[in-house]
Amino acid sequence: MKSKKIGLMLFLMLVSLFLLAACSSKNSSNEQTEKKPPATEANEENGKENVELRVVTTMAGTDPAGEVFQKVLDDYMEKNQHIKIINDSQSADAGTIRTKINTDYSSNNEPELMFFFNTIDADGIINAGKVVNLEKAEGVDLSGYNSMLEQQRNKDGNIYAAPQSGFYEGLFVNKKLFEEHSIKIPTTWEEYELAIEQFAKTDIIPVAASTVDSYYVVEHYALAAGGIDHYQAKLSDQDSTWAEGLDNIAKHAKMGAFPADAATLDLAMVQDLFKQEQAAMIFEGSWFWGQLVEAGMAENVTVIPMPVYGSGGQTGEIVGGSTQGWFISTKSYEDESKREAVVDLFNYLTSEEILLEIVAATGQPPAKGKLTDLPEYIAAGHKLVADAPAVDLPINDRILPEAFTYIRESVPSIVNGTKTGEQILKEAAALE
Amino acid sequence: MKGDKFYIFLFLTPAFLISGIFLYYPFFENIKLSFYKTDGFFNSTFIGFDNYIRLFNDEIARGSTLNSFELMLYVAIFQVGIALVLAIMVNSIKRGAAFYRITFFFPIVISGAAIGLLFTLIYNYRNGLLNEILINLGFERVLWLTEQSSLYMVAIPTVWNYVGFYFVIFLTAIQKIPQDYYDAAALEGITGFQKMMKITIPLILGDLKTCLVLAITGALKIFELVYIITKGGPARSSEVLGTYMYQKAFVDSAMGYGATLAVFMVVIGLTLAFITNKFIKNDKLTY
Repeated sequence: MKSKKIGLMLFLMLVSLFLLAACSSKNSSNEQTEKKPPATEANEENGKENVELRVVTTMAGTDPAGEVFQKVLDDYMEKNQHIKIINDSQSADAGTIRTKINTDYSSNNEPELMFFFNTIDADGIINAGKVVNLEKAEGVDLSGYNSMLEQQRNKDGNIYAAPQSGFYEGLFVNKKLFEEHSIKIPTTWEEYELAIEQFAKTDIIPVAASTVDSYYVVEHYALAAGGIDHYQAKLSDQDSTWAEGLDNIAKHAKMGAFPADAATLDLAMVQDLFKQEQAAMIFEGSWFWGQLVEAGMAENVTVIPMPVYGSGGQTGEIVGGSTQGWFISTKSYEDESKREAVVDLFNYLTSEEILLEIVAATGQPPAKGKLTDLPEYIAAGHKLVADAPAVDLPINDRILPEAFTYIRESVPSIVNGTKTGEQILKEAAALE
Repeated sequence: MKGDKFYIFLFLTPAFLISGIFLYYPFFENIKLSFYKTDGFFNSTFIGFDNYIRLFNDEIARGSTLNSFELMLYVAIFQVGIALVLAIMVNSIKRGAAFYRITFFFPIVISGAAIGLLFTLIYNYRNGLLNEILINLGFERVLWLTEQSSLYMVAIPTVWNYVGFYFVIFLTAIQKIPQDYYDAAALEGITGFQKMMKITIPLILGDLKTCLVLAITGALKIFELVYIITKGGPARSSEVLGTYMYQKAFVDSAMGYGATLAVFMVVIGLTLAFITNKFIKNDKLTY
């Protein structure tokens, strides 16, 4: 009887132990063995060892490239039966992709390939040596790129990310609504303010914008007030034109430029207002075309640069560049059993043919080759970039995320008169 | 007895280990993190009490704390109060009690995110349900989420979401009261209101106190409804500690300061639980 009890006790203890052991994140040799079978078993068809690769990108959710990307991966797996790819992509909309990526890399669970922001967001990963210098990586093909590749060069002189496409931001206007209300599409600051005034008198919202998720609004108002030279200032410079731009948002809010509930709307909701033709203008990026095509209204829309009135600047200067790229994790590159497959997949995804196939879904300017047979509206966007006297990255790609969040989330306080643009910039700079 | 102790130890060990690993270890790690300026991943600098000094000088944290307390008040009064009234009413009806029980309990099974989305669509200025009704009745649109109203507007779904939980606790407690008490009181000519005040409530006081402690401490965890409906706005007017902590830790990558806010929330929660328990001592009732 006693021995039965002891047996039961031991059994329960063992179960508990196994349960806890199963939760362990340690990269023990057992785990290696568990994960290895696919890599060690030779594929029957081509005799190569099976390999499992995980790819994390932002091509998911509302991103129209998501579907094409999955198809491209399926094609690759079809041709390479020994390679299994796990597409762990997640939309960039909510910003949580940053936490996911950082968690993966800091917990030794990095994906083999990653398509991520090559901005301040990747600094920690790069500085920790978690991704490879592509110029030194054996077998990596970086040929055929346009100037976007050079834009990826890190301050340490290396290239860690291979671009896929560029982007631009601008003022998307619904031509149909402008025509119906006999309002001129603005090309100057005065015309922009006049369009706001005129639409505010109608049931149409002049500019679909969120004053809390005010990323693009903040950038474009800062650009309008100072031109690209001032736009490129650092936060610590406390450039007066940035403050002026923030105060202009409040001025225009009082003119009725934005939705009445702009302080509680998110980006998806303001996009809906524009897509439902309840708003005449919206500040967005070139990725927005995909949604407009889906909504069946792309033909009625055109994109124009934010009118710049600040001295020294000129209308045509835009926010844009190439901030995302393909990274190879050092861990996967140093893993002999995976290196060949990782490099091969990298070269496949960044080859001109595949790159253009993915980029065509969004209509963004490609980092290699050229998109052909572009619809008029997409071509207008590409022309915007080609004609731009100056292009610079979004503000949030170069300042501390906490400081930028503080600025954009404080816009409603500027609108209600509690704070001024100058005050907000000073308080944001103190966070740096 | 000796054998019992051994089994107690044996069966509690897994639970103790699991809470230790998944609850207490992260909690102490969180306390450690609050002394660092860190994104939680690659950049970390020890800064001593700087995050705590920042917390006490942070205007937004102060506003969020006050908003959390205000929400706590609404939750304690209305969630528990409405649940009590509903439970007494449902207990006193003879037909349809099952229907009301299910109806009042139903919101509990809907996720907070779904309720948040539902109320976002109800309050939406341009295309929301309330304004569509007003427009169809010939009125002007109303801005439901203003700096003055946003906290009330968030309190409504918060209260609605959890009323059913307390309702079930009260209903069960009321149903445990022996019928003899009511019969004896009926012979003395007691009215319905007196029955509630002099028999029902005094006899379920213990449950009432438990519900109050749960409601008060639970109010600190309010997050998803605020995050989805108002995003803490307009102009931070409905920011609560949960949403502010989330923003700092996960949007701003200021994990150290986010951890400090988390510690602050735990301190408030423990203090309130202690105070509530101290003030409302439980006298055990047996029927």
